Amino acid sequence: MNSSGRALLLCLLGCSVVPPAYAALDVLACEPEWQALAEALGGDRVRAVSATTAFQDPHHIEARPSLIVKARDADVLFCTGAELEVGWLPLLLEKSGNRRIQLGQPGHFLAAAEVTLIEVPIVADRSQGDVHADGNPHVHLDPHRLLIIAEAFSARLRTIDAEHAEHYRQRFAAFSSAWQAAIDGWARKAGPLRGKRAVVHHRNWSYLLDWLQIDTVGDLEPKPGLPPTSAHLAELLQRTRQLPPDFILIANYQGTRGARWLADNSDVPLLELPFTVGGGDGADDLEGLYESILAMLLDGA
Amino acid sequence: MRITSRRSFAPLPSLVTAWALTAGSAGAANPELGFVLDGFFTSDTAALSDRGKGFGLGHTELSLNAPVDDLFTGRLTVVLESHAGESGIELEEAFVDTVSLPFGVNVRAGRFLSQVGYLNARHTHSDDFAQRPAVYRALLGGHWFDDGVRLGALLPTPFFWRVGVEAFDGEALAGGEGDDAVGVFTLASTWGGDLSGSSSWQAGVSYLRHRLDMAKETVGEGAGGEATGAHDHAHDHSHDAAYGGENVYLLDAVWKWAPRGNVRERQLAVSGEYLRADGLGEFARGGDVHEGWYAAAVYRFHPQWSAGLGHGEVELKAAHGDHFHDQSLRETDLVLTWARSHFSQLRLQASLQDAEGFDEASDTVTLQYVMTLGAHGAHEF
Repeated sequence: MNSSGRALLLCLLGCSVVPPAYAALDVLACEPEWQALAEALGGDRVRAVSATTAFQDPHHIEARPSLIVKARDADVLFCTGAELEVGWLPLLLEKSGNRRIQLGQPGHFLAAAEVTLIEVPIVADRSQGDVHADGNPHVHLDPHRLLIIAEAFSARLRTIDAEHAEHYRQRFAAFSSAWQAAIDGWARKAGPLRGKRAVVHHRNWSYLLDWLQIDTVGDLEPKPGLPPTSAHLAELLQRTRQLPPDFILIANYQGTRGARWLADNSDVPLLELPFTVGGGDGADDLEGLYESILAMLLDGA
Repeated sequence: MRITSRRSFAPLPSLVTAWALTAGSAGAANPELGFVLDGFFTSDTAALSDRGKGFGLGHTELSLNAPVDDLFTGRLTVVLESHAGESGIELEEAFVDTVSLPFGVNVRAGRFLSQVGYLNARHTHSDDFAQRPAVYRALLGGHWFDDGVRLGALLPTPFFWRVGVEAFDGEALAGGEGDDAVGVFTLASTWGGDLSGSSSWQAGVSYLRHRLDMAKETVGEGAGGEATGAHDHAHDHSHDAAYGGENVYLLDAVWKWAPRGNVRERQLAVSGEYLRADGLGEFARGGDVHEGWYAAAVYRFHPQWSAGLGHGEVELKAAHGDHFHDQSLRETDLVLTWARSHFSQLRLQASLQDAEGFDEASDTVTLQYVMTLGAHGAHEF
């Protein structure tokens, strides 16, 4: 249904006030990082909401009624893809009845489809855990890939809302130069992190660690998607004694039990990092997110 | 293998072969294939249960799911069940859905699970207990699917409000004798929303109008009805409901809570439904109704562990010629489930039955596995 049709129906149903900003594009982001990016690239031309928060595991979301309503109203869907949302996004799309955001429509945008993915499994077999056949979907913590995604999404906004193409072009130009400058600043700051060793919980941080040239020396999950077991933790502890890591990294939506046990037994600092926008002090937008992750890594190392 | 179901279907192997042939050629455009393996051991035969004592296979299913074109999607689900030395293949779902008609309207046609109630439209492998509540087994045969058509709409309100109307053949419900082209109509309305960042709710009312003649004998031991034990009914393993009425009314409500809405770590789900059927046939007196309810609470206290408690009651009238026999059943279930990964579940359940008018009421212990392979299951609310 187009916006005016929807507004008309709302009025027929007795709603006295039609929201004045209907001209803006409604963006439904699957994760907060894409909400932040849509806001940065669209300015007052978009109204973005996120289906999840920084404190929710984006693999495990239920297609609850409030999300179906958000999907119904969206003009543009901005998700990660690469099977991250495979448990709930297809159901949301089906139940929304919203043609604009279905697969193949301009309003269906997947970030992971715009960049090359790492950790693509040779055999995608669930005996290897909950692996994503297309590769690691957690792309938003590589600033270079994020810029590629931003450019593609800006182009998509220009396609959907061609009337305001110039507005989106200007916003992307501003975002791009600010982001490029920020990357240079982070690269200088992050020098001391090069060659450090990290134990992670799930392959959440692979893109970030690749960019910062930090080595991943262990994973708290015995297989992707499985919570840490005591046998696996004991083995990990053995390994950390031979080659001590510099930190244990977990996202702050993850349970701390396994990570805390390893930290307490090995004296390796445990860092609960914000995984996305809204996940901690200062992580109010994308730049703030990167700044706070870097600060915590530099502090902890 | 003996195919005993009323709803017999082409041999399973040919379907798998057909899929394998298409899968080789065109990659992601092909149907998603999903399997569910479900096996159990039950210590005793219980009232209104289609699971005999001992080892058996539950809902072993194979489903195919794919877009047809830009307007339609299709789904096919074949179920194989086995108990007491008999296997049955049943076509549980075979429907096409429209995608993205204007005004939030959706049309589904074919064979599918009816929209009534909360549990009915869900696949049994996503259930928290080894069996559906007694009132569901009696009135809907556990889960009621039929051949028909549905018109549904997601209304453009600021909150979630879905309505739907269905027309079905109706022969899978109790009674089912008559020659109306449309045997059953249903109406449903569902509302839902978030109460906070941590909790969400959904509630619905639905109504089912059954236009076919009511049966004069309560039969269908497959669906349970060890009714009127003195009479020896043919053993028929079907899912047809054993009890019915001209009008069935359903109320359902669900509330779920997870800290900060992060359902991965912990989640509490509380649900309940009430069902009532009246118009039990030509020999029914004014107050004759089937009536029942259940309430359940399931708490996942660790990503891999959950525990649940459920209680349900049902009062039934077993048709017996020109009169009814009263039956009642109270059932309490305690369940503990361990999930190694997102795709496997092992379940230990104790069920306590207290019944009048049933032969085989008993307390049972059930051990069950449910494994999903292939296509990733959907996380429904």
